[in-house]
Amino acid sequence: MHNHRHSLECILPEHMLEQIATKGSDAQKQMAMDNISVVYQLRAERAMRASLADLFAPTMPRAADGGKERIIYDVKRGASLPGTAVRREGDPASADVAVNEAYDGSGITYDLYKEVYGRNSINNNAMRLDSSVHYRTGYDNAFWDGKQMVYGDGDENLPAEDRLFNRFTIAIDIIGHELTHGVTQFEAKLVYSQQPGALNEHMSDVFGSLVKQYQSRQTTTEADWIIGAGLFTPNVNGVGIRTMKAPGSAYDDPVLGKDPQPAHMKDYVNTPSDNGGVHINSGIPNHAFYRVAMEIGGYAWEKAGMIWYVTLRDKLGENSNFQQCADLSHQAAGELFGSGSLEQQAVKNGWSGVGITIGGETPEPKGCLEATLRFLGAA
Amino acid sequence: MDVERIKFERTGGFAGIRLAADFDVSDLPDDLSQTLRELLDALDFPELPAKLTGNESVPDSFTYIITVEAGKWHHTVITGDAPEDKNMQELLELLNRLARKKIKKH
Ligand SMILES: [Zn+2]
Ligand SMILES: [Zn+2]
Repeated sequence: MHNHRHSLECILPEHMLEQIATKGSDAQKQMAMDNISVVYQLRAERAMRASLADLFAPTMPRAADGGKERIIYDVKRGASLPGTAVRREGDPASADVAVNEAYDGSGITYDLYKEVYGRNSINNNAMRLDSSVHYRTGYDNAFWDGKQMVYGDGDENLPAEDRLFNRFTIAIDIIGHELTHGVTQFEAKLVYSQQPGALNEHMSDVFGSLVKQYQSRQTTTEADWIIGAGLFTPNVNGVGIRTMKAPGSAYDDPVLGKDPQPAHMKDYVNTPSDNGGVHINSGIPNHAFYRVAMEIGGYAWEKAGMIWYVTLRDKLGENSNFQQCADLSHQAAGELFGSGSLEQQAVKNGWSGVGITIGGETPEPKGCLEATLRFLGAA
Repeated sequence: MDVERIKFERTGGFAGIRLAADFDVSDLPDDLSQTLRELLDALDFPELPAKLTGNESVPDSFTYIITVEAGKWHHTVITGDAPEDKNMQELLELLNRLARKKIKKH
């Protein structure tokens, strides 16, 4: 699935715009605005392809027994990955809580993908699951570097009263989120920018949340649908980083500001920051998934999760947008559960609840040019 | 090098929470402004390309934008999360810490 409708899209990698905004002449700024969608889309695609080629060049480490194999490394506050191996598959628990969380969390993520979706690890070919903990100092982040998971300790270097973030292994859905970036890298390969990037983030939130629900055997009504619960310290007024149930309400804090996620297409945020707001606009498909899962009921990983997994594995392409994700998940639901089935109707209703009609026209991004002009300081 | 002002912005990351600060270097304690100047000198900051080899396609990584100003002169550098240069890593860690302190005061 690959749709070339680039000219309608607002593709603005922030670094390019920053360069033009800080260095360009007025004529250059004008030219850039005229060519924005085409030029930047091509650049983003090229960068992504180059980085993927780079990532696939070395063969991925494979589990010794062709199944589940985890290695947890300690970077000891340095930046050289992966660090020293401190816990291997089958080893007893460590005295280090971050090591155990990374071990257990990647294990349950492996189990969900294997037992429910029949997928053997990230690449469906027994890729070993490597995680590094204690990355750098004061590193309030976690990421997937193309080969492994990396976790910081939050604000451990600040006085307790200034700390906002705990260690990033503390919430199992963060671990599921990072590993799912790996799955996406091997399947839909969604470009990490604009709507495809927000879908990349969305898939990570969906399966991160499902890992947490699967671990506790929670039904859709028992689940909290919060991403990163427990990550904030008590200094922050918030329940987590994002919420799929009510995007935009995860936190409202004098220091961090307010959760910027929209729950509906009418509130879609056009911004050059964060690769086009990939962590912001993911709120829209996140909420659609929540609505689908709630309407189907039971365990979300069984039906709603299966529909989304098949969509990620077989349907989406690198440039898929929200409309295409909606249409393709509807198609997947029809194939899995029957045309006109309750499950397929739930998918239709879920997307409709966030302003996306199955089979509808791709909404033209509103305010795109205005946002660009504002950013360039020309309006 | 001569530095009057530093603007710092961090976007992206798992949490997607923007961190930004604007410092008057003369407002910083002497030891910090000294360290900052040394790091900028060691990096030869004015000669750095506007865009350092980044990692913008690495999911959940940070992107940093640093602008250094002195009089009418200014230079902006955009960098990814894991620059190879140790001095740049140190500079980012220092600016992160300062930005967090600054926010807390507001
Ligand atoms: Zn294309
Ligand atoms: Zn992510």
